[in-house]
Parts: sequence; structure tokens; C-alpha cells
Amino acid sequence: MLPEFQSVRAKTKAEALSAVSTLEHVKIIAGGTDLMVRMRRGELCTHIVDISGLSEIRGIETNGPMIVVGAGATHRDVSMSRIINENVPSLSRACGQVGSPQIRNMGTIGGNLVNASPAADSLAPLLIHDASLILESEGGTREERLEDFIVRPYETSIRDDEMLSFIHIKPLKGYREGYKRVTKRATWSISRLSVAWAIKEEGGCYMDVKIAVGSCTPMPFRAKEVEQFLVGRNIEEGVIREAGKMIVDEIRRITGERPSFVYKLPVLKGILHEVLRG
Amino acid sequence: MKNIKFTLNGKTVKLEVRDNETLLHTLRERLDVKSVKEGCSIGECGVCTVLIDNEPHCSCLTLASKVDGHDVKTVEFLGSEEALHPLQEAFIRAGAVQCGYCTPGMLLSAYSLLLRTKDPTDDEIREAISGNLCRCTGYIQIIEAVKDVAGISECKG
Ligand SMILES: Cc1cc2nc3c(=O)[nH]c(=O)nc-3n(C[C@H](O)[C@H](O)[C@H](O)COP(=O)(O)OP(=O)(O)OC[C@H]3O[C@@H](n4cnc5c(N)ncnc54)[C@H](O)[C@@H]3O)c2cc1C
Repeated sequence: MLPEFQSVRAKTKAEALSAVSTLEHVKIIAGGTDLMVRMRRGELCTHIVDISGLSEIRGIETNGPMIVVGAGATHRDVSMSRIINENVPSLSRACGQVGSPQIRNMGTIGGNLVNASPAADSLAPLLIHDASLILESEGGTREERLEDFIVRPYETSIRDDEMLSFIHIKPLKGYREGYKRVTKRATWSISRLSVAWAIKEEGGCYMDVKIAVGSCTPMPFRAKEVEQFLVGRNIEEGVIREAGKMIVDEIRRITGERPSFVYKLPVLKGILHEVLRG
Repeated sequence: MKNIKFTLNGKTVKLEVRDNETLLHTLRERLDVKSVKEGCSIGECGVCTVLIDNEPHCSCLTLASKVDGHDVKTVEFLGSEEALHPLQEAFIRAGAVQCGYCTPGMLLSAYSLLLRTKDPTDDEIREAISGNLCRCTGYIQIIEAVKDVAGISECKG
């Protein structure tokens, strides 16, 4: 059973912002694939603002050098978008692997970010692209880097009167880029481990490397120590092995020891090895 | 309460729904569409699948008020007992129905695929039905059934 609540179906962004700033105990609902499940488990609220009909925040466009993704774009919208496929292929792959066809038709990228699960698939790709988020309220608009937005698992800096409206992404030209996740089964399972990467190479040497790892630390993180270590080094076995050791050490330092690490970390090393070798 | 209007299997439906009413509840308990089942209630099993604007959705996680102005299809849209849809015939021929619990949702996911892709590959079929759990058949017969009908069925939205 769902709790008793009153809902507003916002038709415009202005209507949604007005509702979230005036109503008490209010929650935004987009696809509902996280919130409906949480409410069934007992999470309460007295008002719901349904933003699933807001076409204003559903588009995916280029704006100068920037890709602008509406927070209301579904995982299906993102994974089918040519703009995303050409400019942010890791995100295209990640959103295309979320849940099941049903979940991808419903769940949005905005909901994925605001829910802020450590296993959220869109996070690692957006982290390697240094994405930033546009948060709007009746009081104004602010922009925050994704890296700062998530405070801890399932908690972000968003205020009750704010709505996430857009995600700004910078394409990484000249990089080879991808996303890989490991799950217990292909569909429905959340990621037990995920890696997004973008690598620029020249003359047998790493020019620039961006790596983000999901589901190993309280929130997906950029492995910046390894990234810095690799820049300027030759693409060779010893370097790659050292990078694998470093990433595992970095994760252990952040998270401590976890029973699952016996399985996870060797797999992570394996994926990293494949990715760095190219 | 909200007044909503939507098409259900081609007919216009107007009714008043509670703000916290799920589409699953509206369909089963108020419109007597019992082919849509309640399974896990958290979006994992797919037995509550309906097509909204021809795409599969979990009706257990959809508020009824969301379908205002949209098109909703359940398996009744495909055919009746007297006049089955070619896809339903193919399911029977292939032995793709055993206990039958997953079948309405499975048919809808397969039908949605055929609307988009006339001649899907095995992988596309597997992908399309990956949100519908079947514990009887092992999926092989279901995939055979969809392949059997691909290209020949007059699927229309
Ligand atoms: C069966 C199943 C499988 C799943 N598999 C995966 C998976 O493989 N990978 C994965 O990453 N996730 C998965 N999920 C989780 C979920 O589908 C995603 O996190 C999805 O992106 C959530 O989006 P939504 O629009 O449904 O969010 P909602 O449930 O509508 O909202 C989630 C939260 O975000 C807030 N919110 C939503 N949009 C906004 C906005 N624009 N501004 C401000 N706040 C907002 C809501 O208030 C709520 O707190 C799965 C869920 C289910 C039920």
C-alpha cells in the first residue's frame, strides 16, 4: 500500500517550482521507479509533484561545446539519443543497461542522480565528463558539479524547494570511452561493480586518462591518483599492473575492507587491465 | 481525487482516481482488467506490464493519474478468445505458455518490439522480454514464438 498523499501534475516548470516551494512534506516524482518502491516500504510524504509531463526538461540538445540533457529524459531517451551516443558513449551504454525495458521507459536520469544510490549507473560516466547540474527553485538557479552534489549515499545537496532541471556534459573529443558493469544477472540487477573510462593515447603513451568506479565506495568516485600516475607513461604491462594495484589500494583506503572485496577487487583489476591495454 | 481520461484498448475511459492509486489497481479493481497481474509490486517481475503509448511500463509503479491523456493497452487489445492475435497463436504453437501467469505481460513486451522492429534478431527478442520473468518455460519457446510470427503479423499500434 502507498501512503496517503495529494498529487499535483505539473504542466510547466514554473508550476512545478511553485508547488515544491509552497507545499509541505513535498516530493517530486519523475518515473517513480525509486520513489514508488520507497513509499511502498513506508517512506511518507503528504504531497507529490509529478514532473513526468514536463517536456521542457526532457530534451537532449547540444549548446555550443556543451551537451544539455533534461533531467526528465528517461534512460531510454538517453540510450537512444544520437547526440549522446556520439558525444558521451559511456553514458549511452550505462543508461542502456539500467534495469529492464520497463524501467528504462519509466526511470529518468534526474531521478537516478537525485536518488544517489552508490550503484546508480549514470554516475560513473557523468563523473568522467565532469558533469554539472542545474538546480532551479523559485528563488533562482544554481549550478553544482556532480562531484559535490552527492554528499553521501542516497543524500545530495538538493533542497526541498529545488528541482534538478538540466545536466551539462562536456564531450571528450579524441578519447576512447566506455562503460562496463558487473551484475548478478543481466536484467533487473543493480551494478555490483561498474567502471567508466575515457582514455587519450598517442605514440604508445597515455596522454590523459579518466576513470570512475561505481559500487565499490559509498559513492562512485574518480580514481584521480591512478589517472595522474598514468599520464605521460608508456602503455606497457608493468604500468598497467601498477595502476591496478593503486586503484585497489585507493578503494580500500576509502571504504575499508568489505567481504565482497575478495571477489570484486580482482574483477576490477581485470577490467582495468583490459581497458588500459585497449 | 483526479479526473482522468485515457484510451484503454482503443476505447476512451473517463474516471476519478485517488491521488495515490496505482494504474495496476485502477485496471484490476475498477475496470476489471484481470489480465494485468500483481506480482512483486516493485518493478522486477513484469507481470503488471502494460503498454503506455505502445511502450512497456510497470503498472505497479505508475500512478493512475499519470496516464491522463495517454494510450494504455493490455493483452485484451491483441485479441479475444474467439479471434486470437497471430502472436498469441504462435505462443500456443510453440508451447510458450505453461502456467500462464507471465503470459499477458510477455505478449505485450513482444508485441511492443514487433511494432518497432518487424524482423527482430534473437538478441533483440531476448532484450525486449528481459523485463518479464517466466519460471516455467526457460524462455526458449517464447523466443521461438516471437520469431515465428515476426514479419508475418499485421502489428498495428
Ligand atoms: C526493478 C528495478 C531495477 C532497477 N535497476 C537499476 C539499474 O540497473 N541501474 C540504476 O542505476 N538504477 C536502477 N534502478 C533504480 C531506478 O530505476 C533509477 O534510479 C531511476 O533512474 C530513477 O529515476 P525515476 O525517474 O524513476 O525517479 P523517481 O523514483 O521518480 O525519483 C527518485 C528520487 O529523485 C527525486 N527526483 C526525481 N527527479 C527529480 C528532479 N528532476 N528534481 C528533483 N528531484 C527529483 C525524487 O523526489 C526521488 O527522491 C532500478 C529500479 C527498479 C525498480
